Amino acid sequence: MSATLSRRDFLKTGAATGAGLVIAVQLQGCAKPAPPLSTAAFAPNAWVRVQTDGTVLIEVDRSEMGQGVSTALPMLVAEELEADWSAVRYEAAPANPAYINKLTGMQLTGGSTAVPNGWVPLRQAGAQAREMLVAAAAARWGVDRAACRAENSRVLHDASGRAATYGELAADAAKQPVPETVKLKDPKDWKLIGKSVPRLDLPAVVGGEPVFAQDVRVPGMLVAQVERSPVLGGSVRSMDAAEAKAVPGVRAVVQITGGVAVIAEDFWAAKKGREALVIDWDEGPNAALDSDGVRATLQALLAGPEGAVVRQDGDAPGTIASLT
Amino acid sequence: MPAITLRINGQDKQVDVPEDMPLLWVLRDRLDLTGTKFGCGIGSCGACTVHLDGVAVRSCQTPAVAAAGKAVTTIEGLSSDGSHPVQQAWIEAQVPQCGYCQSGQIMSAAALLVTNPNPSDSDIDTAMSGNLCRCGTYQRIRKAIHRAAESGKTT
Repeated sequence: MSATLSRRDFLKTGAATGAGLVIAVQLQGCAKPAPPLSTAAFAPNAWVRVQTDGTVLIEVDRSEMGQGVSTALPMLVAEELEADWSAVRYEAAPANPAYINKLTGMQLTGGSTAVPNGWVPLRQAGAQAREMLVAAAAARWGVDRAACRAENSRVLHDASGRAATYGELAADAAKQPVPETVKLKDPKDWKLIGKSVPRLDLPAVVGGEPVFAQDVRVPGMLVAQVERSPVLGGSVRSMDAAEAKAVPGVRAVVQITGGVAVIAEDFWAAKKGREALVIDWDEGPNAALDSDGVRATLQALLAGPEGAVVRQDGDAPGTIASLT
Repeated sequence: MPAITLRINGQDKQVDVPEDMPLLWVLRDRLDLTGTKFGCGIGSCGACTVHLDGVAVRSCQTPAVAAAGKAVTTIEGLSSDGSHPVQQAWIEAQVPQCGYCQSGQIMSAAALLVTNPNPSDSDIDTAMSGNLCRCGTYQRIRKAIHRAAESGKTT
């Protein structure tokens, strides 16, 4: 995939390859409220937060849907950051242009693009933070930066045996200039990438904590259920919503395209209201459609003239004939 | 609307609910215990499984009024810190994928181990057959239940 792939091309590609395209957009309010960034002593870029207690918090800019991004993306950052993996935490990133998916042009999760898109930028983000932590340690000790190295959330100066943790260095690192270019590790030195690592999100999952779309609560929120036409393409000829409106908790009944929405204070009231609707449906152009009709249509098309040629590679009919 | 007292995860909660309102919606919409999931609403998927006096029930098919006076345990109350042997085994075996059905899976598994501390594969398949997982984590669920059973023996 080229980096200039447009959204339209991306969607077409996904559909054409039958790649099981899954798309999620970040919804404000779905994630648990993020702690204010000021609580992180060191936040050199959009992905890395180092707290003074040594916690490395990584902003995950794609939606976790079970595909493991909340572990895979932090691995990319932590690899270059030389972070102690046991001190790595993650949170769902808010909406921010910094998190735009370069393969799709928006902050989108889908098409198996999370790791390919983050592969370079997330490692660079980790390396950037690592370089600043090392520079802070070198400055503190008055030693050559090149004589220091990072390992397991610590900066070490082997010649003098000095060491400082990332937590201890966080405040100083924040004062260092952000390096524009950073050198990424040689793959032979990878400690996390390529390893099977337990998922960071599972302790929350087994406690029932993750917030799925259905679990989002906002102040004053109401719940709607839609009674739809029993036939695709049908519409409401007339309706009697009196009984639905009489259900305790039902606030409104609204006719929409192809159906009727019952809006209520909670799910159960919306459901009871929907079940109490009396609707006379105009089933529309597909009212008489059934399986036999669909079959007859397809058979008639098969018997008709040949379809248009969309693509022709080589001589398929000739090759098939030569083999039989 | 009857006012009832529900004992949920060890705490008494007073709620006014319609007589036909399922326990699921009291948990989710009145008490904000959203760890219990709505899947099908007809008792066929197991996503809404909770314990009623220690027995796994489908909360979408259990009127809240029928739970009055009984102990209700939800995923939030299975343990305070994720330390229940089933939760631990679930992490060790890396069971969940998307996670949506897993609260119900864990509640069913925990109830199974109370009545059958050493279940066979076949016991597990029978007890868990009402809990569907669209990600298809069934093999790891079975493995984790065996693991939880093992850890139960040593403690």
